Amino acid sequence: MSSKKRVVVFALLAALVLVMVACAPKATPTPEPVAEPEAEFMCPSDWEMLTPELEAACMGEYDGMVVTMTGPFTDEDEVKFNESVAEFEEWTGIDIQYTGTKEFETIITAAVQGGDAPDIADFPQPGLLLNFVKSGDVVDLTDVMNQDWLKKNYKQAWLDMAQMEGIQAGVWARYNGKSQVWYPQPAFDDAGYEVPETWDEMLALSDQIVADGDTPWCIGIESGAATGWPATDWMEEIMLRTTSLENYDNWSFPADPADRLPFTSPEVKNAAQVMSDLWLHEGYVYGGTAAIADTFFGDAPLPMFDDPPKCWLHKQGNFITSFFPEGTVAGEDYDFFYLPPIDEEYGKPYLIAGDIYAMFDDRPEVRAVMDFFSRGESLRTWLGSGGALSPHNDAELSWYGDDIERGIAGLVNDADSVRFDGSDLMPGAVGSGSFWKGMTDYFSGTVDLDTALSEIDAAWPSD
Amino acid sequence: MQSKKQQKLVGQLLVNGILLLICIAWTVPTLGLLVSSIRDREDIQSSGWWTIIPHRGWVQVSELPIPENASVDSEITIEGVTATYDEFRAGVDTGDGRQFVWIGNLRNGHIQVKDRQWTAGSNFTLENYGQVLVGKEYTIRNADGSTSTVQGDDLSASFLNSLTVTVPATVIPILIAAFAAYGFAWMKFPGRRILFIIVVALLVVPLQIALIPILRDYVKLNLNGTFLAIWLAHTGFGLPLATYLLYNYISTIPRDILESAFIDGASHFTIFTRLILPLSVPALASFAIFQFLWVWNDYLVALIFLGVTSGNVQVLTQRIAGMVGSRGADWHLLTAAAFISMVVPLVVFFSLQRYFVRGLMAGSVKG
Repeated sequence: MSSKKRVVVFALLAALVLVMVACAPKATPTPEPVAEPEAEFMCPSDWEMLTPELEAACMGEYDGMVVTMTGPFTDEDEVKFNESVAEFEEWTGIDIQYTGTKEFETIITAAVQGGDAPDIADFPQPGLLLNFVKSGDVVDLTDVMNQDWLKKNYKQAWLDMAQMEGIQAGVWARYNGKSQVWYPQPAFDDAGYEVPETWDEMLALSDQIVADGDTPWCIGIESGAATGWPATDWMEEIMLRTTSLENYDNWSFPADPADRLPFTSPEVKNAAQVMSDLWLHEGYVYGGTAAIADTFFGDAPLPMFDDPPKCWLHKQGNFITSFFPEGTVAGEDYDFFYLPPIDEEYGKPYLIAGDIYAMFDDRPEVRAVMDFFSRGESLRTWLGSGGALSPHNDAELSWYGDDIERGIAGLVNDADSVRFDGSDLMPGAVGSGSFWKGMTDYFSGTVDLDTALSEIDAAWPSD
Repeated sequence: MQSKKQQKLVGQLLVNGILLLICIAWTVPTLGLLVSSIRDREDIQSSGWWTIIPHRGWVQVSELPIPENASVDSEITIEGVTATYDEFRAGVDTGDGRQFVWIGNLRNGHIQVKDRQWTAGSNFTLENYGQVLVGKEYTIRNADGSTSTVQGDDLSASFLNSLTVTVPATVIPILIAAFAAYGFAWMKFPGRRILFIIVVALLVVPLQIALIPILRDYVKLNLNGTFLAIWLAHTGFGLPLATYLLYNYISTIPRDILESAFIDGASHFTIFTRLILPLSVPALASFAIFQFLWVWNDYLVALIFLGVTSGNVQVLTQRIAGMVGSRGADWHLLTAAAFISMVVPLVVFFSLQRYFVRGLMAGSVKG
């Protein structure tokens, strides 16, 4: 009986196997015809002048490949970044894996030295990227990118700033505007104050606020290990407004070491003087000048939102809006005006800072992603969600999510000149070292101006 | 007799009092952290956590308009109280238990009349914990103009990663170190002293100097960004201390116990598993706590060996550090995140605590 059963089971099994084997070859050819129509151009049809790699990526040739990225933006910005590349990932099947770290400066150095560099890295400071250009780790984009396209989609100033040590070190991905002075609009209007058009009008407004028994400025430069950077922004703004662009360039990023404009020069000292006339002016700063170095830069504008405001004016980049109290609305609770010019001769310059993407591994799919980043499309949802400005010419003003950022982007487009944050361009020892420290020391009253300036200058590398 | 007893009592009180003070001093920051973690972002920024304790404070009871024609430089009289503008801004006591405070400036100001009353901050929220546990919500505007809500990362993935890193990174060094410690303590072989001195000497080598060389090796071995890499790294960095600590304990086990086992014909392996391991549970447990806490709280090693190019292996410390946002805008979330990450070490500590107290003596008797 049992042996019969076994035979039956065996027969059934054998039949099953036969059926499976018979079915198998039929199953395989079915997906093939489906694969054929996939090879069509998936990216927006109005993209032009694509590199062959991006073309191939849009045809789905790099489907399933991974491109790794590292950068300093975390959390909210990380989500916004991932959203902004999500469509591209859908079109091409390339997986862009981004890892954000708060210790980007440290980590990228360790990773590159250890031979574990990501495919693409996001540098908020070109000065840091320069280190890797010098060490030969960055891929020269001159032959990787379509230069005609870059010329068409970027202002020449951007392309010039991407040239380091004779190579094209990266593509500019985002920027933020710095020359804004924020003010609490409803209270400002109620009090009958008017937006100043010139530096003197701004000082008159400050005096007016003091005469009204209030403090005009909210200033805070504390930022952990980076304490002092908001002060360097002010210096750069005033440099741009009191001296020539040539001097500014020679001060921040001299093409020839012989042309370098030292911190001890009269031009720089004059700018520092203009700045300290405002910062150290009796009664101008909320909490007194002693509070400047102790106040966290993100907390500094908060007294502006008290009712009534405890201070009225705050100069900072557009990212500061993420520190404003929850529920405050751009254009209703606050607005901004352009930090006015000082000397008409130097027009209306705009100070900006931004992120440059550099490529560390030359593979076709990485090239395709780099080309994608040179297009406004790569920022589209980010612009809509707020927190970034686009350096691309093909990004439309209508893409911006709020009037403030649209306004800043418009102002930057119309500015007489645009210059990059000088301290980000300077060598690290100065730009993210002695410059921060020197300004902090001076405004906290530890050293006098001449000492501070010569100490800053002493850190400039001699090579 | 009586005075001796009294002296003893005073001495005890003194010791206990000092201990209590130290305990309070150690606990207060944690308490502050806990209180901050259930307060609103704006509250944290505007007042200290201790304001939740009931205290006498000035509370606004009414409001007065500012006098006309006041100026910054001359004296101002409000309801019979005369002071300068600056004094009014800082707050002037009226003498009848009230205080006048000038809010705003000459254009838009008003006078707050304040009374001294008992107050306590009572505005608590679990919002911070919610955002940390579930993830923050972001509004994204899509290319077609529609908006969608995106949920940020929560802690669960990194929590699991942290466990995956920590448990093997605790067990592996203990295992190896226990074998090594037994060998150093009870087995005779040439070069034993030299080897042991080398192990102890490794205690003073800072792990930071080894990071980049190891990273290079890992890259060559294709290990980087894997859990195995960080297990090995933590094992290596933890071994010298583990070996030293366990050696000191194991070498104090009475020789008689081992000798009788030898006479009964037990092999080294039998002695190790049957005698040494059960006897050294306190030392093993106390080192386990050390190593667990160290690995759980580690940020640097994880950052170097896990974090650079692969996001899906991030451990808790990395995730929490990233939570403050690119520019540190959300640091109020750190308090809640810190408490959540604290849970596991607390559980480990309390479940191993009774060994820990005994184990602290490990190696203290014999060097």
